[in-house]
Amino acid sequence: MTGVSEPTPEPAPGNGADGPPRLQRRRLLGYAGVASAGAVVGGVAGAGIARASTPVPVAPQPAVIRQDYSPHETHQAGITTPVPAVTRLLAFTLTELAVEPLTKLLKLWSGDIQALMAGRPIPGDPTPDLARTGVSLTITVGLGPRVFSLAPLRSKRPDGFVEIPAMAHDRLQERWCGGDLVVIVAADDATTVDYAARRLARDAATFARPGWVQDGSWRGTDASGEPVTGRNLFGQLDGSGNPSGDLLAQTVWAADPQPWFAGGTTLVVRRIQMDLDFWDRTTAERQEKVIGRRLDTGAPLTGTVETDALDLAAVGESGAPVIPLDAHARRSHPDENSARRMLRRGLNYTSTEVVDGRPVTTAGLVFLAFCADLAEQFVPVQQRLDANDALNDWTTAIGSAVFALPGGFAKDDWIARALFD
Amino acid sequence: MRRVLTVLGTVIVLAMAGCEATPSPLASSDGPRLSVEGPWVRTTTGARDATMTAAFLTIVNPGDADVRLVGADCADAAMVQVHEMVMADDKMVMQEAKDGLFVPAGSHLHLTPGGPHIMLMQLRTGFAVGDQVALTLRFSDGSTLAVTAPVKEFVEEEDHYHSPSPTPSPSS
Ligand code: HEM
Ligand SMILES: [Cu+2]
Repeated sequence: MTGVSEPTPEPAPGNGADGPPRLQRRRLLGYAGVASAGAVVGGVAGAGIARASTPVPVAPQPAVIRQDYSPHETHQAGITTPVPAVTRLLAFTLTELAVEPLTKLLKLWSGDIQALMAGRPIPGDPTPDLARTGVSLTITVGLGPRVFSLAPLRSKRPDGFVEIPAMAHDRLQERWCGGDLVVIVAADDATTVDYAARRLARDAATFARPGWVQDGSWRGTDASGEPVTGRNLFGQLDGSGNPSGDLLAQTVWAADPQPWFAGGTTLVVRRIQMDLDFWDRTTAERQEKVIGRRLDTGAPLTGTVETDALDLAAVGESGAPVIPLDAHARRSHPDENSARRMLRRGLNYTSTEVVDGRPVTTAGLVFLAFCADLAEQFVPVQQRLDANDALNDWTTAIGSAVFALPGGFAKDDWIARALFD
Repeated sequence: MRRVLTVLGTVIVLAMAGCEATPSPLASSDGPRLSVEGPWVRTTTGARDATMTAAFLTIVNPGDADVRLVGADCADAAMVQVHEMVMADDKMVMQEAKDGLFVPAGSHLHLTPGGPHIMLMQLRTGFAVGDQVALTLRFSDGSTLAVTAPVKEFVEEEDHYHSPSPTPSPSS
């Protein structure tokens, strides 16, 4: 988890008890994750003040870009770590649904992941010079539902790991659904993602057929590289309401899991098409009411800054709620969902396909939500939004898949090994 | 020459750290140990001659003494040799490295396709992608290293490994 490519500032005298500023900062981010940019900036500013009394000037440290992550932590990287610019998700279907090919593939991938995330080429790498450190590369592996239909694994299915029931607004296309395995590759740049994804896909070829591939981008930094909440293609700040700190941990990590799933989480991937043309024709006032937040600052319509809590009880002069009853951020808010939460990690996509000889471009959000328990958290919230959410006029789910993401693996081990004990 | 540089390097590091130059004792047997990175074995699936293959890896020698990789053992192969590539008749061919492969002190050695490798011959089993092969490396200082190498697809042209004879004569 330490930056390799950049000089580490010398720890300032007297800072010892808290560790070097950089580490302090990283710890903060580890919890704050992708969401509460306000809190992160606050924390960093605080650290800056603490350091001001020391004689050693400390250069600003990028927290999103130019990072190095380890696959050997309690949790896999790429879940609560900041969202870098480029992400690709690759789904695979096992050619033969059996334990042996699955374990062989997971072992191969584990060696690859260990090497790639350390900036080293994989064993036998035909393009070794593409491997590099300091590119914020994370590779995250998940197992699809069919894996838990294997006889020896039937009792190992994580709690609440269910397929998402059909929603009235869904227009699902088979080509964006399902998968026995997923690999999520994310990094600062598309070349690194291309490289790592190709290596992993090549090693999978003996055991699995490639399924859908979803590319997404995110801009989670300001001009100076400081972490901020990124925007989706509607131009909205997206991720403001994400949990942080202990709440994030409770929201995401499986509670009381079977030993093999310690440090694990469950993921739903929804490919949600967004009608950008219709959105462009919608007035800004209407756009803000659809969500219940301002477009420029992301502040709730009842507040002044992004980090303000939504005041769901506030009514305007006319007596109508300031945040409308069908506003997306109200309908999905924990206060209206029995405190159900999720960690959302959105990725913007634009895709051009040739239809009847003509290019057709569609766009949307590769919507990822991580939950300790999908059935308990995501599903009821999604059903509530399906029943009533102003945003539904502009958005349509066209893909859906769920995966169980085990914890990290030790250096001399491989991912999900304990599943097969 | 390499040894001198290493010593110089040590002195420079000490000076930069602001320490008095008290040179630490060189090479001791309980010093840093040899290690292996990125081991893999080429699959025999689809190979023209499935009775032999090769293992590739990087040997890291953090110690103060040069060592040589003198041999290896593999339960799946009746014959294992350490091979190097040499030029014969304008062609690179492999041959047994009779004195082993040199891993300089404080450095490393890459065993790669087209370069030095561990030749696994008279295989008792085929190696499919994803299999794990257990190897034991033997070094000139008497130490051994156990390695588990995944079997991977072979991505480079296979020519160097086609010779049916483990140690081709220069004319072959
Ligand atoms: C393309 C589809 C979607 C878009 C454009 C979108 C956009 C937004 C925006 C702009 C916000 C307010 C800022 C924020 O807190 O991040 C928000 C909040 C939220 N959205 Fe979505 N969203 C989409 C789909 C979904 C889906 C499918 C779910 C879950 C089923 C969901 C759950 C939530 C939740 C839980 C919040 C936070 C509420 C709070 O705690 O204040 N969203 N979304
Ligand atoms: Cu050979």
